[in-house]
Amino acid sequence: MAEFFIRSLDASTIFTIAALGELIGQRSGILNVGIEGVMLFGATLGFITAKTTGSYLLGFLVGIAVGGLIGLLHGIFSITLGGDQVVSGMGIWILGFGLTTYIGSPYTGPLGMERIPTILGLSPFFFVAIGLTVIIWFILSRTSLGLRIRSVGENPEVAEVSGISVAKTRYLCVVGGGMLMGFAGAIYSLDYNPVWNYNFLLGRGFIALALVFFSMWNPFILLGGSILFGTLWQLSLNPQLFLPGLMSRYIWRTVPFAITLGALLLMSTKWFRTKWGAATPEALGQPYVKD
Amino acid sequence: MYKVLPENIKRGHTILEARGITKRFPGVVANDRIDFKIRLGEIHAVLGENGAGKTTLMKILFGQYQPDEGEIFIGGEEVRFKSPLDAIDLGIGMVHQHRKLIPAHSVIENIILGHPRAGKILNLKRAEQEVLEICEKYGFSLDLNAKVWQLSEGEKQLVEIIKALYRGAEVLILDEPSSALTPVETEKLLISIKAMSEGDLAIVPFITHKLPIVLQISDRVTVLRKGKVVSCIDTSEATEQSLAKEMVGRDVIFRTQRTTVEKGETIIQVNDLSAFSDKGVMALNGVSFSIREGEIFGVAGISGNGQRELVEVLAGLRKPEGGSVSLDEVDITFADSLKRWRLGIGYVPADRIAMGSIADFSLVENVTMNYYFDHEYYRRGVLDTKKIRELTNDIIAEYDVITPNVDIVAKCLSGGNLQKLILARVLSRKPRLVIVDLPTQGLDVGATEFVRNKLIDAKKEGACVLLISEDLDEVLSLSDWVAPIYEGEFMGILPGEDAKRELVGAMMAGIHLDEESA
Repeated sequence: MAEFFIRSLDASTIFTIAALGELIGQRSGILNVGIEGVMLFGATLGFITAKTTGSYLLGFLVGIAVGGLIGLLHGIFSITLGGDQVVSGMGIWILGFGLTTYIGSPYTGPLGMERIPTILGLSPFFFVAIGLTVIIWFILSRTSLGLRIRSVGENPEVAEVSGISVAKTRYLCVVGGGMLMGFAGAIYSLDYNPVWNYNFLLGRGFIALALVFFSMWNPFILLGGSILFGTLWQLSLNPQLFLPGLMSRYIWRTVPFAITLGALLLMSTKWFRTKWGAATPEALGQPYVKD
Repeated sequence: MYKVLPENIKRGHTILEARGITKRFPGVVANDRIDFKIRLGEIHAVLGENGAGKTTLMKILFGQYQPDEGEIFIGGEEVRFKSPLDAIDLGIGMVHQHRKLIPAHSVIENIILGHPRAGKILNLKRAEQEVLEICEKYGFSLDLNAKVWQLSEGEKQLVEIIKALYRGAEVLILDEPSSALTPVETEKLLISIKAMSEGDLAIVPFITHKLPIVLQISDRVTVLRKGKVVSCIDTSEATEQSLAKEMVGRDVIFRTQRTTVEKGETIIQVNDLSAFSDKGVMALNGVSFSIREGEIFGVAGISGNGQRELVEVLAGLRKPEGGSVSLDEVDITFADSLKRWRLGIGYVPADRIAMGSIADFSLVENVTMNYYFDHEYYRRGVLDTKKIRELTNDIIAEYDVITPNVDIVAKCLSGGNLQKLILARVLSRKPRLVIVDLPTQGLDVGATEFVRNKLIDAKKEGACVLLISEDLDEVLSLSDWVAPIYEGEFMGILPGEDAKRELVGAMMAGIHLDEESA
């Protein structure tokens, strides 16, 4: 049982870090539905680097850098060119799926390196995820930069007349967010399950995307949600543990999405909006074009 | 660029001067050699109709546009604004008509957004202290930790004012300051403006309508017409009539004469109608009235007293909780909105941009919105676009809608022209009952006069009109019946000739007719 919870927390680590990356971008108004693709890139190139050089550090650095580059690409599409963010994001996912399968297939199989040591039985990245949650919460709610990010995501026009560069702020967020997504991918392929196979993420990126909506764009709710989603994911891998026969792994895998739908439904009720205001960044998904 | 303002410039000295400002847009000279001086401690109104060049001038003074010709001086030194930031740094503040605030953020976060001294890590305590000092100086009161979406329009405007002052504004430009404010909030605003001008700030309100406010508050007034300054005088020398004449270029009859026409059959009969608001409270509480052919029934009141619910129930957009409505003796209490259009109810919503039109649709398509369901205009489910186009051309000619053609999108029209188009589309259906909600809100003097005359024409042709207005003068001058509304109830229904200003004003504030006469 303890093993089950440790694995759940390890799974939630990946959700947390990837979703934090998505959250920063969304708070600045940029939606990246291609998070799965960014993670695949980071995971695959990080895996190949580590396998060929034998260095975990290089593997992680490459994973992070590649994530940042893909984030930059998404930024060019959605910020500079003012394109449709969903289209660009879907493109990144499809590109990521196809290209990583092509690049990675010669490396199919285990990483073959000594495992990264654990702390109290947990992956050290679990603690990194908690640290990142606190840091990102602090930046968003307590710093001038955070106020700028939130303002750009709510109403870029107002931010601009207040002297804030919308483009710069958004680039910072999509690149930074992409780095976190790439990092999360690399954690998967180097630590959580260091075996390369095509499409090995099995939709974890989409769960992280759902998690951001579930969290109502709050890093702490995101952390709690990712532990819940991590547990559900782990149940999907071991469906015999709970309600066997009734719940297959595929049904377990849909539960996070069902919960997210419920949360979105709650957020869209009149009751919620009159009590808490709108949780969604108002300019989310909308290109900002100066006139 | 940072403050060049010499310390010795004080009350009465010219702080901002524009010389020969000219700005051309394709096909139009928006600003034609405009000269303009603003002194510290003065309230200097700029008056002009829609399209007179006010907005362009305002944008130039705030650095959003660069003039093609002319110079701007601050404290005697020539300046050039590349962006609003330059203007802000040189002490120019702007209070936008469409508030530039972030609803999801708190008041204090909105105020410090983009402030150079905000610091890396926000020091909200210190900022609050400094903002409170400004509030104390001018007698403002505001909860700095409230979220902006929770505030009223007047409070949001105050946030913009404080934001500008916190950035060090010495010249405060106010775009249509009293629009969207209730009379009580307007009073408060005028007090705040006075306080600020006494504190040696220069206040420059840009105003399209509401001439009484100009007279009440400003020290000087500059009138623009067709991009030119037509006069700049001390307000004490101006009257409402003289200002209107200068704005429009001809005499304007202010008091539209109430014309009484033969009254016919009862068209609409409303009994004991009540409805909930969006928040689930009883907002309309048992109103009864009837309107006959040839009558205008005016509902006077400060917005938020149940007018919106009344209008929406009658238009079929909201379900009533009790009571009944009949039109030409047909019960329509629960009829849907399309059925009501077919039976002859025409509805002109208060918000012409969000509810009255679709901004990205062409004028023809916008007119279609009220005609697509008429058999005359479609055959086997396919719209007869040719016929609708002809109709559109006819009504824009009749209603004097100024537009290059009928294929431009609705958002290109000015407020007055858009309102004319919506009114034309509704009235051309020859409705039995016309519901008009705030029909002249935000319109200039000329368009207001036009809209009011069209309503009188409608009643002459035998329709009845339900007029909802916050403008007491409008209700009093047009209505055959005046019903002041307060917290969802009519405080009485007065015949137009008995509706005296003071009486109606008192009833709008909640005094029942019976109490008043007792």
